[in-house]
Amino acid sequence: MKNFTYVMPTSLEQVVELLPGPRDLKTRDRVKVLAGGQDLLGELKEHLVEPEQVVNLKGVPGLAALTQQAGAWQIGALATLAALEENAALRASHTLVAEAAGSVGSTQIRNQGTVGGNLCQRPRCWYYRHEQAVCIKKGGAECFAYGGLNKYNAILGGGPSYIVHPSDLAPALVAAGATALIRGKKGERTVELERFFTLPSEGAVTRENVLAPDEVLVRVDVPAMAGWKSTYVKFRERSSYDFALAAVAAALRIEGGKVAEARLVLGGVAPVPWRCEKAEKALVGRKIDAETCRVVGELALEGAEPLAHNAYKLPLAKGLITKALTKLATA
Amino acid sequence: MALEPLKFQDEKPPRPAAPGKKWIRVTKAVNGIDTEVWEEVSDDAGGPQWGPRDQMRLVSRAIPRVDGPDKVSGRAMYSSDMRLPGMVYARVLRSRVPCGTVKLDLEAAKAIPGVLAVIALNNGNIDWLGRPIAAVAATTPELAEDGLRAIVATYEEQPFAVTPEQSAAENAPKVNSRGNVRTLSKNTDSSEVDAALGKAAKRVQGTWKIPVQHHASLETHGVVVDYRGGAEATIYASTQGTFTIPGDAAGRLGLQGGQVTAVVEHMGGGFGSKFGMGIEGDAACQLAKELGRPVHLMLDRATEFHAAGNRSGGEHTLEAGLDDKGQIVAIKGRVTRHGGVGQGSGHPIPYIYGRDAKVFVEDRCIHTHTDSSRAMRGPGHPQASFSMEALMDECAYASGLDLLEIRRINLADNRRELYMRQLERCAALIGWDKHPFKNAPDLSKSELKVGIGFAIARWGGGGNGQCKVEVRIAQDGSVEVLSGTQDLGTGTRTYCASIVAEELGLELGAVRPRIGRSTFGSANASGGSTTSPSLSPSVKHAAHNARLALFEKVAPLLGVKPDELAVGLGEIHVAAKPSQKIAWKDACAALGPAGLSAQGEWQAHLASSDVGGAQAAKVQVDTLTGEIKVLDMVAVQNCGLLLNRMAVKSQLQGGMVQALSYGLFEERVLDPDLGLFLNANFEDYKIAGVREIPRMQVEFEDDPRGVIGMAEAAVIPGHSAIANAVRNACGVRVFDMPVTADKVLVGLEALRKKG
Ligand SMILES: Cc1cc2nc3c(=O)[nH]c(=O)nc-3n(C[C@H](O)[C@H](O)[C@H](O)COP(=O)(O)OP(=O)(O)OC[C@H]3O[C@@H](n4cnc5c(N)ncnc54)[C@H](O)[C@@H]3O)c2cc1C
Ligand code: SF4
Repeated sequence: MKNFTYVMPTSLEQVVELLPGPRDLKTRDRVKVLAGGQDLLGELKEHLVEPEQVVNLKGVPGLAALTQQAGAWQIGALATLAALEENAALRASHTLVAEAAGSVGSTQIRNQGTVGGNLCQRPRCWYYRHEQAVCIKKGGAECFAYGGLNKYNAILGGGPSYIVHPSDLAPALVAAGATALIRGKKGERTVELERFFTLPSEGAVTRENVLAPDEVLVRVDVPAMAGWKSTYVKFRERSSYDFALAAVAAALRIEGGKVAEARLVLGGVAPVPWRCEKAEKALVGRKIDAETCRVVGELALEGAEPLAHNAYKLPLAKGLITKALTKLATA
Repeated sequence: MALEPLKFQDEKPPRPAAPGKKWIRVTKAVNGIDTEVWEEVSDDAGGPQWGPRDQMRLVSRAIPRVDGPDKVSGRAMYSSDMRLPGMVYARVLRSRVPCGTVKLDLEAAKAIPGVLAVIALNNGNIDWLGRPIAAVAATTPELAEDGLRAIVATYEEQPFAVTPEQSAAENAPKVNSRGNVRTLSKNTDSSEVDAALGKAAKRVQGTWKIPVQHHASLETHGVVVDYRGGAEATIYASTQGTFTIPGDAAGRLGLQGGQVTAVVEHMGGGFGSKFGMGIEGDAACQLAKELGRPVHLMLDRATEFHAAGNRSGGEHTLEAGLDDKGQIVAIKGRVTRHGGVGQGSGHPIPYIYGRDAKVFVEDRCIHTHTDSSRAMRGPGHPQASFSMEALMDECAYASGLDLLEIRRINLADNRRELYMRQLERCAALIGWDKHPFKNAPDLSKSELKVGIGFAIARWGGGGNGQCKVEVRIAQDGSVEVLSGTQDLGTGTRTYCASIVAEELGLELGAVRPRIGRSTFGSANASGGSTTSPSLSPSVKHAAHNARLALFEKVAPLLGVKPDELAVGLGEIHVAAKPSQKIAWKDACAALGPAGLSAQGEWQAHLASSDVGGAQAAKVQVDTLTGEIKVLDMVAVQNCGLLLNRMAVKSQLQGGMVQALSYGLFEERVLDPDLGLFLNANFEDYKIAGVREIPRMQVEFEDDPRGVIGMAEAAVIPGHSAIANAVRNACGVRVFDMPVTADKVLVGLEALRKKG
C-alpha cells in the first residue's frame, strides 16, 4: 500500500474536521475513515484507494454502543458484527439482523468488522477489485462485467454499473425499517436506510450511498418489531465463508394464519438492497403456501434482466423467498 | 488403439525379468509431463526384510508425526521463515499483458532510499500473462513493493489468446511457432472404431470441460539465498526436490554444484509445482550475487497464481458404443489439454474402463498466452477420471443398469476382482443397498434429494534407486538417521525415525531424523508418489546395516557370535536366551568415540508398485437453491505396507478434500477481452473450507506387498464420484467443472421444461 499519515481523533467533531469539504467530490478519497479495516485494508493493499490520510474511528468513545429501549435498537457504527450476532435480545426481537450479521464472512471478520464498515464497504465485483480494470465504478468509461464475466453481478437495478451491494446487514436493516444517523461538518442528519443506498443510475456511479465527502455514519436506529417474525436467508456458493449469491431478508406479521404486514428485501441481486414492495403488498391477507410463494417470487423478481451468466439468480432468489416465507410461517 | 504414453496399468513389461531382477512401474514427471515407465530392478530378497507385520511396533501402526508439535506451535522453520543477518527482501514484477514487448526504466525504482537492487528478468518479450519481468531487492518487503511500483514498464501490447476458445478461433494470434492447436496422437485412422460404433446397440456421448486448477500451496514458491560472496552458498528453498536446487543455483551464482547447499527443513506444500529453482529462484540468486547479501524472495499470492504453474484444464468429447448387455464395444474421443504455453499432462482416456473396446482417441493441446501447467498430484488422471466416470454412469442410465453393474461389465478381467471388491465395500459403507436410485436418477419433485456416485483410480507409486541413507549411533547411545530428502508434509521425517527405531529396538523419540539438506545422502525429488517407496527401503537398509555393525561390537561382550543376537526393547540379547542381554546404552558404550555409521541403499524387494482404489460420495441437492452438500465420502484403497497408518489415512482424506474442492469450487477465471486473471486470490479462487467437509471414512486393504507411494491415487476419483452423485440425486449432469449451484439450477430448469 501507499504510505499515508494515520490519525486517531477522540471526538466526532475532530473526525469530520479531518474529512474533506462537502463538495470536494474529486478529492474525497484523499482521506479514508477506518473502522474494523476488513474491507479498507484490502483496498489499500490492492491500490484501489491511495489515501493521504487514514482516520481511525476507534478513538471516538461510545461509537460501539448497542442499546435497546422498548424494543427499538440503537446500533453504533463501531458495534461489531459479532456483537449483533451474539446479542440474544436482538436475536429475539430482530432475528433477521442477528442472522444477517452471523452470515458475514468468517468468525475473524465478524469479530473485527463493524456495522458502519459493513454498510459502507465497497463492491466485490472482480473487475472493481482488479487494479488494472479501470471500469465505470473507478472513473473509467465501461462496465466490464456487463459484457464480460458477470456470474456474480446484478439482475435488478443495474446500469451503468452492475455491482451487487455486498453487505449482508443492509437488506436486513432495510427490511427492519432502520434509519441512518449521519454526521457531517454542518451537523447531523438522518436518512431512511432504504434511501441511504443509491443506484448507479441515480447517485454518483463511483459511490454506493448518499454520504457526502465530509460525512460519516454514526449510528443505525432500528424501530421495534413487536409481533413480527423475521429471518435472513443467504445463499453462499461456499458456506465456510462467502458473499451472497442471493439473499432474502423477510419479516412478517401474521394474524390468524394470514399475513397482516410484510417486508421483503433481496440482497446479492442488485446494486442496492432490493425492496420488493409489490410482493410485500401481495402478501397481505394471504396465508403462506406454495401458491403464495410462487406469486411473491414472481413479483419480487419482476423486471429482472439477467446478464449472460447470471440467469440462475432468478430461480435462486425465488427459491430463497420460498424458504424464508415457509420458515416464518412454520416457526 | 490407445495412444502412446497413456498405457494401461496392467500392460505387461517389455520382456520377462532377468534372473535376480524384477519389473516395477514408476511415474516420471519430466517438465510437467508425466510418463509411466517400466524399470527393471534388482530383486535381492536376501537383504533386510520388513518382517511379519503383526510383530511390528511402530511401522504399520498409527503414530502421530514427530514434527507435528513444531508445526502447530510455530516452531517449525519453513523456508519463508528464514531470517539472516543483513538479509534483504525481494519481489518480482509480473507482466500486465499476455503478449507483447516491454521496455523497462528502472531508474526511479533504484532512486528509492532502501531499494538496493533492481534487475530486469527477461529480454522484454512476453508470451504469457504474468510472466515475471523484473525483480527488486530492498531492506523491507514494503520497500521492495514500492520499488516494483516505481519501475516504469512501457508495453507494446499484441493481440492475445488467453482462453482456448480464443486460441482455436480462426486468425487467432499465434501463441508459439508450433501452432496454437496441436494434435499429439499418431493414429489417424478411426475407421475400425466408426464401424464398431455403427453396429452398437446404444450410443452415449458428451463433452466434458475441465477448468484449470491451481496448486494453491499455502507457502508460495520462493527461496532464501544466503550468498555473501566467496565460495559457498546456502539456499533455503520451498521445494519438492532438495537436490534439484544446488545445480541450478550454482549456475546462477557462478559456483560449482558442490559449493551450494540446499536446505529444506519444512516446506508448505507443492503438489507437483515445486521442482528446481524457477524464475523466482534465479532472480534471488542474481540479486544476492549483485548485493553480496542474503536475499529472501517468496512470491506474493497473486504472482503465485499467475506464474507458478497449475493443473492443465481440458475438454473431452467422448462417445461410447454399447452392446445390448451394456458392454462398451467402442470408444471414440477427442481429448484436448489446456496447458497454457505448455502442453499439459496427458489425460489417459479411456481411463481404466473399456479395456475390451475398440478405441480411437485424438489427443490435442491448445496453447494460450498463460503460464504453463505443471505436474499436479496425479497429473492427468483426475481430468480423465471426470469424463470417464460420467460416461460410465450415462452408459448405465442409457442401458437401465445398476451403477455398479456397468462397472463390473466394463472392467478388464484382471482388474474386475480388485475394483469390484472395493466398489462393493464403498457401496456398503455409504448405504447403497437402501438407495432407491440405482439405475436411474431421482427425477421426483421433492425439494431435498440425495444421490450417490462412484469412481475408481489407479497409480504406479513405485520407487527408484536414488536414495542414500546414513544411520549414526553415537557412543552415548543416541541415534540419528540422515537423508537429504524433503518432507512435503506427508510424514517423511516420521517414518525415517520409526523404521530405524523399529529395527534397533528403540522408542520413536530415541531416533533423531535429520533431513532436508543436500550435504546428506542423495534422494529423489518428491513426485509421482515415489518418495516413500524409494526412501523407506534405503532407510531400512541403513538401519539393518547399523544393527549388524553394532552386533559385531556387542557379540564379544556377550560371548556369542553376531548372528546369534537379536534386539529387544532397549536392549540386545542372545536370540535363543533373551535373559543373556546388554542394555542399549551399555552396548553403544562399546563403540569408539566416533560411534558407528552405516549406509543404506534402495532395496527393490522392500518396495512395490501399482495401487487401485475406489471412492463413493453421497450428496444432497437442494432443488430450490441448487445447493450441493456432500454428506459422505468413503474410500477403499489397496496399499502394500503402510509405513504409518495415521499419515496414510490423512493422505487419503487430504486427497478426498482436494478432489471435493476441485469438483465443486476451484477454477481459474480469465477475462478473454481484457486478458486479466480475475480471481488470483483466495477470495474469488474458491477452495473448500471446513463447512464443506463431509463425514469421511477410509479403509485400507492391507496386502503383503512392500511400500508403495500413496499420494496420488487419493486425489483422482473424489470429484468424479461427487459429480455423478449430483446427477444421481437430481437428474442434472453438469458437464463442466466445477459443479456449482448455478449450473444445477439452470439444469433443473431445463429438465422441468423438458417435462
Ligand atoms: C474475506 C472476506 C469476506 C467477507 N465476507 C463478507 C460477507 O459475507 N458479507 C458481508 O456483508 N461482508 C463481507 N465482508 C466485507 C466487510 O469487510 C465486512 O463485512 C466488515 O463489516 C467491514 O467492516 P469494517 O469495520 O472492517 O470496515 P472497514 O474496512 O474499516 O471500512 C469499510 C469501508 O467503509 C468505510 N467506513 C467504515 N466505517 C464508516 C463509517 N462509520 N462511516 C462512513 N464510512 C465508513 C471505510 O472508509 C471503508 O471504505 C468480507 C470481507 C472479507 C475480507
Ligand atoms: S459492475 Fe461496476 S464495478 Fe463491476 S465492472 Fe461494471 S462498473 Fe465496474
